[in-house]
Parts: sequence; structure tokens; C-alpha cells
Amino acid sequence: MNRKVLFGGLLVSLPLVILLLLSLGRDPHQVGSPLVGRPAPHFTLPVVGGGESVTLESMRGRTVVLNFWATWCVPCLEEHPVLAAGPRRFGGDVVFLGVVYQDETADVRRFLREQGSSYPSLLDDSGKVAIAYGVYGVPETFFVSPGGTIVDKQVGPLTPDLLAFYIDRARSAAAAPSKSTS
Amino acid sequence: MIGFIGRGLVLLSLLAASAGSLVAFSAAVRRSATGLAWARRFAYAFAGTMLAANLLMVYALLARDFSVGYVAQVGSREVPDWVAVTSLWSSLEGSILFWGMVLGLYVLAATWTNRDRHPETMPWALGVWLACAAFFSFLIAGPAQPFLTLANPPSAGPGPNPLLQNHLLMIIHPPFLYLGYVGMTIPFGFAAAALASGQLGAEFIRVLRTWLLLPWVFLTVAIVLGGWWAYEVLGWGGYWAWDPVENASFLPWLTATAALHSALLVERKGILKGWTVTLVLATFLLTLLGTFMTRSGVFNSVHSFTQSAIGPTILVFLSMCTIYSVALLAMRIETLSPEGRIEPGVSRDMAFLLNNLFFVLFTFTVLIGTLFPLVVEALRGVQMSVGRPYFDRMSVPIGVALLFLLGVGPALPWGRATPAQVRRALLPPLAGGVAFLALGLAAGVRAPWALVALLFGGYAAQVTLAELWLPVGQRMKSRNESVLRALAQVQSRGRRRVAAFIVHAGMVLVMIAIAISSTQGVTAEVQLARGQSVALGPYTLTFLGVDQVSEPHRDALVANVGVRRGERELGTLKPRMNYYATQREPIGTPAVRTTFPHDLYLSALNLDPDGRTLGLHAMINPMIVWIWIATGIMALGGLFALLPVRRIGLAAATQEPAAAVAADAGPGPTPARIG
Repeated sequence: MNRKVLFGGLLVSLPLVILLLLSLGRDPHQVGSPLVGRPAPHFTLPVVGGGESVTLESMRGRTVVLNFWATWCVPCLEEHPVLAAGPRRFGGDVVFLGVVYQDETADVRRFLREQGSSYPSLLDDSGKVAIAYGVYGVPETFFVSPGGTIVDKQVGPLTPDLLAFYIDRARSAAAAPSKSTS
Repeated sequence: MIGFIGRGLVLLSLLAASAGSLVAFSAAVRRSATGLAWARRFAYAFAGTMLAANLLMVYALLARDFSVGYVAQVGSREVPDWVAVTSLWSSLEGSILFWGMVLGLYVLAATWTNRDRHPETMPWALGVWLACAAFFSFLIAGPAQPFLTLANPPSAGPGPNPLLQNHLLMIIHPPFLYLGYVGMTIPFGFAAAALASGQLGAEFIRVLRTWLLLPWVFLTVAIVLGGWWAYEVLGWGGYWAWDPVENASFLPWLTATAALHSALLVERKGILKGWTVTLVLATFLLTLLGTFMTRSGVFNSVHSFTQSAIGPTILVFLSMCTIYSVALLAMRIETLSPEGRIEPGVSRDMAFLLNNLFFVLFTFTVLIGTLFPLVVEALRGVQMSVGRPYFDRMSVPIGVALLFLLGVGPALPWGRATPAQVRRALLPPLAGGVAFLALGLAAGVRAPWALVALLFGGYAAQVTLAELWLPVGQRMKSRNESVLRALAQVQSRGRRRVAAFIVHAGMVLVMIAIAISSTQGVTAEVQLARGQSVALGPYTLTFLGVDQVSEPHRDALVANVGVRRGERELGTLKPRMNYYATQREPIGTPAVRTTFPHDLYLSALNLDPDGRTLGLHAMINPMIVWIWIATGIMALGGLFALLPVRRIGLAAATQEPAAAVAADAGPGPTPARIG
């Protein structure tokens, strides 16, 4: 047994294997959002179908689920029923808002008419709100605490369990903005 | 029905491979000829069942049989038939099925061509090959089963990833890559067999070398095809981005190239046996690492398949193979005793050693750069990426050093030489180096590394051409042969040497082309209104308007850009934006006008459907086409080395003209260069 070879070989290969083992489950597409833990950017946006514009400030004191979506986005269509059931499921202290991302108003109206909606969807025509929130794809959902801090960001479609999980965290988050590590 | 048969075939292949591996190892230990014969039969059975399974899947794809799971995943009625066939390897499950077939064919070929030879080592090799085959069969039968039967088959399919339908190059890049990657299993088996049996003599190293060279040729082509595809399709105008998966294909190439060189020293001097075997084992392990990187979802890349259960499974296999390799090396490396020694001092031997050193250094730097993000995230939980600057900064000096050795190495005589001999060998090619350098300076090259590459490249070019001519010239002089006859004789008697220098010539050309194309390009990025023009180098580019094109699987907006050079109208280039039903963002296709000196490269950054404005990214990329041509030269050289020589008797095939032999080969004092 050549101990030098054994030792050298293990020295090179074991760390490599351990490293790869540790990195399983890493999703490189999950880019951490720098906004988590920070105050949610303000906005005032018109509602699809007309009516009064919606301002984020007016939601202060309630948990906000802010969902960026589009009609051309297949995972958004998948999560739509989950979100649509939200207002009834979670009660009045949770506000659901949709923000339409790079879409045609006519398509949005048709979709909402056909699929139904239980909360307002807002039109972000200039895309400025999406940029302010650092949205780089849809669907992305931000969970804002009653104090106005972004507590979590979900990239990808929501499931009922995930939705409940995030809403719980947002509800119980401290009022003052604090740096979180997620 | 198809699903059922397919699953059956895969199970049969798993059975054949597992049984075959056990029989082979037992035959090795007990030195049983009958056992070996049975192991061979199992190997053929594995190949046959894998081939049948793949043909069945191709049939299902062509028939658009959406009851088969994989077809439902990537099949489509809208795509043309050639896309249907190539979607065999477009997604994870199909690509592993394809892997199985390529492995089967390789094992078949390696087993059959060696059926009457090397009875002490073949059982070990077969055992290893069939064990790997069993793993991949297991993957196909389990975590990556493409033949699932869907209870409710969909009526239509999404088609494969649109990026894979964009270009014809996509048909050939994956097969070539698999032929390279998977092929490395064969030399792995031979290397393990050498260790297990304690034999790495002249005969066996030849076999190892042959079966290392064949996949090497495919891998070389595959890597460059990938770069070519990225260049023609992705639109950023480059051909290499140090993407983790690009690196995954490059790492085994580096160690395989090093092994090809050190194998020469094994054959000629009986030294570096353990080192060569280690390199070959490492090559295979790096292919496993590469496939893990591509399929585990751990790395972000244009290649990444989605995360699945495959990742952990491959990691387990990689760990097992690594432990096996290290243990085998530790226990058996002493049985490979050297038969000679390296002559210290300035010599061709030393150049070979340095060559290997630099290749291994290169491998480590690329490996570290690729894995570093994982380390950082594991230790600190912070995401980071290692980008081009690191890789470029490390690879340029190493590449230039290798180019230097490419010239100096073959120029130096074998073994110990006097300073006068060294001087006589090393000085003349400086003419070539200076000539290339002067040409570059005249052409306007000012980047320091590019100039160094030209100097070393010109030097290496002269050495390579001189080495190619040397035996021909000597035959003409000593035997009064005509040029043609001398050439014919040399290529048949000294084939491997000729082939090696052809490959070297290609390599010099590649490296010069890379140096020039990386430093001498010009770029312009402009917003053009319809009718507006921009000047780039000698060209005037005018945005003429937009066409809308409808194809069965995609819609496209095509920008028409008029190209003029001085007074001559050169026609219209048409960069386009393709819109696929299943993709959110459009995928652009650049328009490339290729000439020998340079490529004119246009891509559309943004294009409004009314054709009022075009965001144009225009580049002039010099010497790009020479990269593809030079790779072809390398591949042909490699294949030429593998062609059997039509001569009677094995000894005759390796005979070289006496003068070239004296100048080239063998240990011993002062082998003077003649002339």
C-alpha cells in the first residue's frame, strides 16, 4: 500500500466529494433578494377595470401579499387558484394585490373575466414598480408585514402550504424594519 | 406497448451489464478463459439491448407516441422530423438513454477488437466497463426512466427546448460530446486493468493510448462545436464563456491530452507509468463530475437540466469510482515499475514533463474556479460567481506557456544534449517566430499577450513544419525517392509521428486564432432608425426594415441590415428575434458573414414589430473561421493516427526512417540531429 498515493488521493478527492454533497439542493436560480428585511417600496397604481388607484401606504397595519404575474406566464396560471382562494382563507387582515408585469390590458381583463378574481390587480405599465421590487421574472410574490417591511420573497408559483407559511411569518414579523438573513 | 418493451429492454441491459461485470471480475481473479468469453457475450448483449432501446425511443419520437413519458415531455407534432429525432438527447432522461447506447457501442468495439488479445487484462477492463454500464442502466431503469407509460397521454407535446431547434449544429454537438465523454470509460477500464494486473508494457500502453485517442478526437471536436454553436446561436459574439458546463467538458480534455503525452514516455522509455494511469483515471472521474454538474441542478448554466433525483445518484457513483481509483492506485501502483529514467537537463523529455505539469496546473485552476462558488456558499452562505476575468487571467499565461512548449519541445533532442546542440536546435525556428510577430505588428496587433502568442506560435509553426518535413527530406536524399514517394512512405511508416505533428499544427493555428480573435475585435452598439446607418471598420450597416416570418414551431421578426464595404454592396444580413410558444422571452439569432480574415457579426438587441427602430450589436471578429478549420485539422490528425497502416506485419508499421528515429527516439547519449 503506497501511503503517499493513498493520502494524496484522499486529500484531493474527499473534499471535492464532500463539497458536492453539501451543495446538493442548492438552487442557483434562487438569487437572494436584497429587499428582504427592508421597507417595501411605495407605489400608487391604477386597478384593472377602472376605479380608484391603490396605494401601498393605505395597506399599513395589514399584511400584504404582493404578487407579480402575467397572462403569458404558465406558472402564474398554475398558482392563480391558490391566490384567488386567499382572501377568503386568511381573513381581512391580509390584503392580496396582483401587479401585472409586461402584459396587454385587454388580455388581463379577459383572463380575469374568465378565471375570476377575488382581489384587485394593478397595472404597472411603465414597469417602474417591478424594477423597484427587483422583479426579474414571474411569478414573484412579496410578503409585506403590517409595518411595511418585506419579510419574504417567493420566486416561482405558490402552493397553499407555502402561502400559509409566508403569511404567518409576515403577520408575526416585528414592526420595525430589521435585516433578516433569508 | 412501446413503454413496456422499452422498460423491458432497459432491464435486460441492466441484467447483462451486472452479470457481465461479475463474471468478468471473477474470470480475472481465477484467470478463466471461459469466464472471459462469457463476459464478452454479456458485453455484446448490453450493447444490443441499449441500441434496441434507443431505436425504439427514436421510433416513438417520430411516431409522436405521447403515451411514452419522454415523448410527452419533449415531443411535438409541430416540429420537423429532424428535431423529433434529435430530441432523443435534448432532455435529461433521453440523454442518459443515449449515453447508454454510446457506452454500449464503445464497449462492443473495444471488446471485439481485443477479443483475441491481452487475456490477463481484458477481464479486468470488462469488469470495470460493465460495472459503469450497470450504473447507467440502473439510472435509466430507475431515476431517469424515459419509457414510463402515461395513463392519460396528452394530445400534443411542447417540443424540445427552443434553443435546441435554432441551429443545425445542435444536432451534432451532443453526439460528439457523448462520443468523447462516454468514450473515456474505455481507457478508464484499461488503466484500472493495468493496475489490477500489474502490466503496462509496450503492447498494452498502445491499446490504452489508442482507446484514449479516439474519444479525445471526439471530445476536441465536441468542445469546439459547443463554442461554435454558442457563437452562431447565442448572439453575444463570443465562443467561450467559462460557463460551468463548458468547463465540465474542458477538464477531462486537459487531463486526457496530458495523458496522451505522458503515454508516449511510457512507450519509449518505460517511465511515468503510474502517472499516466492516474491521469487516465482522473479523466474518467472528471467526466463523471461533468455529468454531475450538468444534471444535478447545482450549477446555473445554459446547459442545466432541471434538478432531479439523478444528482445524488451520480454523486454516489462518482464517490464510489473515486474511492475505487484511489484505493487501486494506492495498492497497485508499485507493480508498475519504471524501466528507465528521465534525463535531467534541457531535453525533449523535460519538455514532456513540463507539458504535463502545465496541463495539470490548468486543470486545477479551472476546477477551482468552477467549484469556488460552491465552497463560498457552503462556508459562508453567500452566493457568488466566478466569472471570465479569473479564468482568462489564469488560462492565458498557462496557454501561452503550453504554446511555448509546443515549439521548444519537439525542437529539442531526446535525452542529454550539449549546450551547443541545444542552441543549434532552438535558434533556427526563431525566424518563424519573429516573422509571425512582424506580421502581427504590421497588421496592427498591439495587445501584449497576443504578440507573445504570435512569437511562440510562429516558432512552433516552423518547428512543426520542419518536423513534418524532416523524414521526407531524408528519404529523398538517402534513398533518392521522389517527393511523393517519400511522403507516401513516411505517412505509412511513421504514421503516428506524422499525425501527431498534424495535430500540433492545428493546435498552433487554434491558439493563434484565439489570441487574435480575443484581442483584435471591434464592436459597436447603436440604436438605428429605419434608413439609418452606422460605420464599423470597413463596413457601412444600414437598417432597412423588418419582416415578419411564421414557421411551424416559431414566429420571428427579421431585421434587414444592408451591408456595404466601400463602394461594393455585399447584400443583406438578417439578425432575428424568434418567439416560441413555450418561452417567455424571445430568443435572438445573430447573422454572421464569415470570411477568412474575419466575421461580420450582427445581433438584434431590440426590434419593434413596426420596424421603426433596431437596437443593433455589431462586431468584427477576426480569424474566427480559423478556429473551426484548425479543429478540423486536429481531428483529422487524430483520426489519421488511429487508421491502421496497410503493411504486412506489426513491426513494419512502426518502422521509421533511420535518421528520423535517431533524431527522435530512444534514450542514450548525444542523439545528434542530422543536418
